[in-house]
Amino acid sequence: MIKIENLEKVYKTEEVETTALNGINMHVKTGEFVSIMGPSGCGKSTLLNVMGLLDKPESGSYKFLETELLTMNDRERSNFRKQNMGFVFQNFNLIDELTVFENIELPLIYNKVGVTERKRLVNEIIERMNIVNRSGHFPQQLSGGQQQRVAVARALVTKPKLVLADEPTGNLDSSHGNEVMELLCELNEQGTTIVMVTHSSHDASFSNRIINLKDGHVISEKINKTRTEELI
Amino acid sequence: MFKLNLKIALRNLWKNRTSSFINVSGLAIGLAACLLLLLYVSYEWSFDKQGKHSGDVYRVMTNYIDANGRIDGTGEQTGNAIGPVLKEDYPGIKAMSRISAQGKELIANGMQGFKREAFFADKDILNIFEYDFIYGNQQTALDAPNNIILTESTAKLLFGTTDVLNKSVRYLNKLDFKVTGVIKDIPDNSSNKFDFLMPWSIYEQIEEWAKTPAWTNNNWTTLVKMDPAANIKEFNKSIKGLIRKHEPEAYAEPFLFPFGELHLHGVFTNGISSGGKIEQVRLFMGLAIGILLIACINFMNMATAKSEKRAKEVGIKKTLGATRGSLVTQFMIESLVLTLCSAIMAITLIEVFLPLFNNLLGIALNITYSNPLVWICLAGVVLLTGFIAGSYPAFYLSSFNPVQALKKKGFKRGWSAVNLRQVLVVGQFSFAIILIIATIVIYKQIQFIKDRPVGYQISELIEMPLEGELKGKFELLKEKLVSSGAVSDVYRSSSSISRTGSNFWGMEWPGSTETDKQFVFNQIATTYDFIKTTGIKLIQGREFSPQFASDTAAVMLSSSAVKHMNLAKPVGQLVKYQGKPCTVIGVFEDFILGSPFKRDRPMVVIFSEEWNNIVTMRLNSVNSVSANMAMIESITKEINPAYPVELSFVDQLYADKLKTQKVLGVLSNLFGGLAIFISCLGLFGLAAYSAEQRTKEIGVRKVLGASVASLMQLLSFSFLKMVTLSIVIAIPVAYYIMNNWLNSFEFHTSLSWVVILVASGGTLAIALFTVSFQAYKAAKANPVNALKYE
Repeated sequence: MIKIENLEKVYKTEEVETTALNGINMHVKTGEFVSIMGPSGCGKSTLLNVMGLLDKPESGSYKFLETELLTMNDRERSNFRKQNMGFVFQNFNLIDELTVFENIELPLIYNKVGVTERKRLVNEIIERMNIVNRSGHFPQQLSGGQQQRVAVARALVTKPKLVLADEPTGNLDSSHGNEVMELLCELNEQGTTIVMVTHSSHDASFSNRIINLKDGHVISEKINKTRTEELI
Repeated sequence: MFKLNLKIALRNLWKNRTSSFINVSGLAIGLAACLLLLLYVSYEWSFDKQGKHSGDVYRVMTNYIDANGRIDGTGEQTGNAIGPVLKEDYPGIKAMSRISAQGKELIANGMQGFKREAFFADKDILNIFEYDFIYGNQQTALDAPNNIILTESTAKLLFGTTDVLNKSVRYLNKLDFKVTGVIKDIPDNSSNKFDFLMPWSIYEQIEEWAKTPAWTNNNWTTLVKMDPAANIKEFNKSIKGLIRKHEPEAYAEPFLFPFGELHLHGVFTNGISSGGKIEQVRLFMGLAIGILLIACINFMNMATAKSEKRAKEVGIKKTLGATRGSLVTQFMIESLVLTLCSAIMAITLIEVFLPLFNNLLGIALNITYSNPLVWICLAGVVLLTGFIAGSYPAFYLSSFNPVQALKKKGFKRGWSAVNLRQVLVVGQFSFAIILIIATIVIYKQIQFIKDRPVGYQISELIEMPLEGELKGKFELLKEKLVSSGAVSDVYRSSSSISRTGSNFWGMEWPGSTETDKQFVFNQIATTYDFIKTTGIKLIQGREFSPQFASDTAAVMLSSSAVKHMNLAKPVGQLVKYQGKPCTVIGVFEDFILGSPFKRDRPMVVIFSEEWNNIVTMRLNSVNSVSANMAMIESITKEINPAYPVELSFVDQLYADKLKTQKVLGVLSNLFGGLAIFISCLGLFGLAAYSAEQRTKEIGVRKVLGASVASLMQLLSFSFLKMVTLSIVIAIPVAYYIMNNWLNSFEFHTSLSWVVILVASGGTLAIALFTVSFQAYKAAKANPVNALKYE
C-alpha cells in the first residue's frame, strides 16, 4: 500500500539545521498494523506527519497505492488526505466548541457527504464505539478514554484506507489505554491499515510489525509473530 | 458547513464572554460614532442638491476689483439688474430668478400672526427649484402680484390644514395675499429656505427703490438654471465685463458658480473657490474613519491574540481536510457575525444619541428606515467593517501549518504578529492622543476668546426688532418702558450691537486722500443714549443728545477709526460721511461688534432717525429679570398688537458667535473621549490576554519569590512602552495641526507645553489604570493554580 524511498526532512532555524529524516526506506502492506518506535527526537512523529501529508519532506518518494504523493500541490494533498486517511492524536485534538456528534461529523462535511448519509454514518460509528449516550456532550465533559474513542470514531467515520495514530494512549491511564489499543486491533482485524507512533512496547505489541528509528534512520524492523500469523 | 461554522462562532463568543463583549461593544461604539458622523457628512454633502436638475443651477457671484485691478474679495450678492440682462441676452440660461430674503416677517390669518421666513422671487424660481406642490399649479402660482406660496408647515400653522388654496393671508399687517400654492417644506439642508414665497412684482411695489435697475448695489441673490449642455467656463468668459458695460465706474466682475457647491466651497481667494465648510466635512469624515479603524484594530488585536487557542482548531480542521479558503470563510463569518451584533447595538446607540447630537449641531438628522438606500449603506459599512476587522485574523489564522498548529509551535512568539499588534496599538493611541490635544487646544481657544473684553456691559442688555407700529411710535415706547421701571435706558439703531450690520466706504476726513475713500468702515446708525445704554467707554467728547439740534449732522468715532484717520484732536473736527459734512462729537473705545476671533474694522456711529431696525434696552436691575421681561412684553404688545414680541439677550447673541467653535470643541471632546475609551477597551482585552498567556511564567516567578509589585511592573511595562511611543508620535503631529488651526484666528491662545503634558500624562494614567487592573489580578493569583493549570 505504502512505499517510501529515501525520504529526507531537515528542520532549519536561524542557527541550526536538524535532520529529522535521513533517507528513510519503508513499506506498509494493505491491512497491516505497523508501529514506529524510537527515542525522543528520532523523527518518528515527523515520519507520521509526512505520511499524513501534513508536512513536506525535502526529497524522496512516497507512493500510496502506486500514486506518488509528494508531487501534489496543497489542494490535492488536502483532498487526498480527507478521502484516504484518518488521524488519531495523543491529545485527542477534538474541537472544544463542537459536540461529540458534530466532531465526528466534521470530516464527512469536508468530504461533502449529504446530510442524511452523514447522520447515518455518524450514528453507526457512535454505536460501534459505544458512545451513543455521549453524542450531545462537549469534549470537556468526557473522560480521556472517552475523548480518544471519539477521536477514533472521527478518524474512522470516512472509512479511510489508512489510519495514522500518534501516541494514541500517551494521555491515558493503562486501562483506558488498553481499551483504545483493543479498539485499534479490532479495526485492523476488520481490514483497516494502521500506522502508529508509540513509545510504549506494550502498545507496539498489538501491531504486526515494529520499525525502530534512530537519528532519522530505520535501524531495525521486527515482526510480531503472533499478530502476523493472524494476518496470514 | 456554514451552520457548523456559525455554531463554532457563537459558541466561541459565548465561551469568551468578556472579550466578546469588549469586541462587540467597542465595535458598536465605533460604528455608532462613525455612522453618526457619516450621517452628518451626508447631510452637508447633499446641501442644495435635492432636485434632479440641481446640477444645472448656478449662483451669480461678484468679484470685487481693487484700484490696482486685483481681485479684492468675492461676494454672493448681486444687483437687481444683472439677472434680467443675463436671461435676455444669453441663450444658455433657461431660467433666472432674483431673490430677496427678508428674514422673519409677519404673516397672519386674521388674528393668528406668526413671524416666518419670507422670500420674494421672480416667478422663474419655480422652474429653477423642483418644489413639491401639494396644492396649486407650479406654472401659475406666482403669476399675479398678490399670489403667495406657503410651505406645508406654515399652512398648518396658520390654518391647521394644508388645503388652503385661494384663502387669504395678511403680510406685515398691511397687504393681503391669495394662497396659490402649498408646497412640501424646504429641506433643512437648503440655503434658500423660506416659509412663504411672494412674487418679485409685489416686492418692487413695496420697496420702490428696488425698481431702479442697480448694478453695484449688491443686495440680492440671483440664481440661474443653465442649459445642461452649456460650458460654464466659456460662459463665464462671455459675461466678463458685463457690469462695467452698464456701469463703467464699477469695480466688479460677475461669474457663475455651481449653487450646489457653494455651501461646502464658499470661501474664495483671488476669485477662486479655495475651501469652506468642506474642511469641516473632511475633518468629520477623517474622525469617522479614524474611530472605526480604532475599533477594527481592537477587533484584529483580540482575534490574533486569541490565535493560540484557535490554532488547535485550525490544525484539526486542516488535518481533516479543510482548505485554507474554507478557514478564511469561517473566520470571516465569525467577524461578520460580530459586526452584525455590533451594528444592531450601534443602531440602538444612534437612536438614543441622535437627538443629543442634533441638539448639539442645531440640525435635524434622522435615519429614514423605509429608505432602501439606508439599508444598503448600512450593509455596506457592516460588510466593509467586518471585512477589515476580520481580514487579518482570517488570513493569519488560516495560514498556520497543521503540524505547527497542533503542536503549538511557531506562532507562540510569532514576531510578525506581535509586531503588527504593537504597531496597531501605537497607531490607535497616537490618534487618540492627537484628539485629546486638539480638544484641550480648542477648549483653551474658546476660553481665550470668551475672556476677551467685549467692550460694553453685556449682561442685562436685551434687544428686539423695531417693526410694525413700533417704528413710528419709538418715543412713546421708550417713554413707557422707562416710566414702567422695567428698563433703565433704551436706544434704537440700524443694527444689533452684537453683529456687523453694515459697512461703507467713501469717508473723508482732514488730510484724507482719494485712496482713503476706498477704506471700509463699520457703521451703526442711532439716535440718543447709545453709549449710556450699552456702557461702551467714551474716551473723549460726548454722545448724541437732544439738547444739541446740530447733532443730526454729527458722528462718533471708534478709537481705531481715529487712529486710522490720524486725527490728533478728533473732537470738533469736520468729516464727510456719504458726502455730508459732519462734526465729530465723541470718541469711544473699540468694542467687539463682529467675530470675536477677528479685529473689527474701525467704526463710525452716525445719527439717523429714519434708519432704525432694533431697540436695545438695559434691564432695570432693581426688579427681577422675568418681571422686567413681562412688563416689556405687555407694553410692546399694547403698542404693536399685530406682532409677536421677540426679546433676545445680547449676551446670548454674543455667545452664539462661539457656537461653531463650541460645537467643534464638544465634538472633538466627545470623539476624542470615545477614541480613548475604545483604545482602552482594546488595551484591557490585550492585557487580560497577555496575563492569561503568561500564567505559568507568573506562577514560576512567584514561586521563586517575585513580589506583586514587581510582577505588575513586568506585565504593565510592555504596554506602557507602546503608549509612550504613541505619545512621542502624536505630539509633533498634534502640535503641527493645532498650531495651524490656531493661526487661522487673529486672536488666539498659544499651544503651551502644559497642554501636551496634560494630554500625555492623562493618557498614560488611563492606560496604566487599565493595564494594571489586569496585571494586579494576575499577580495576586495563587501560583499553585497557575502551575497546575499548565
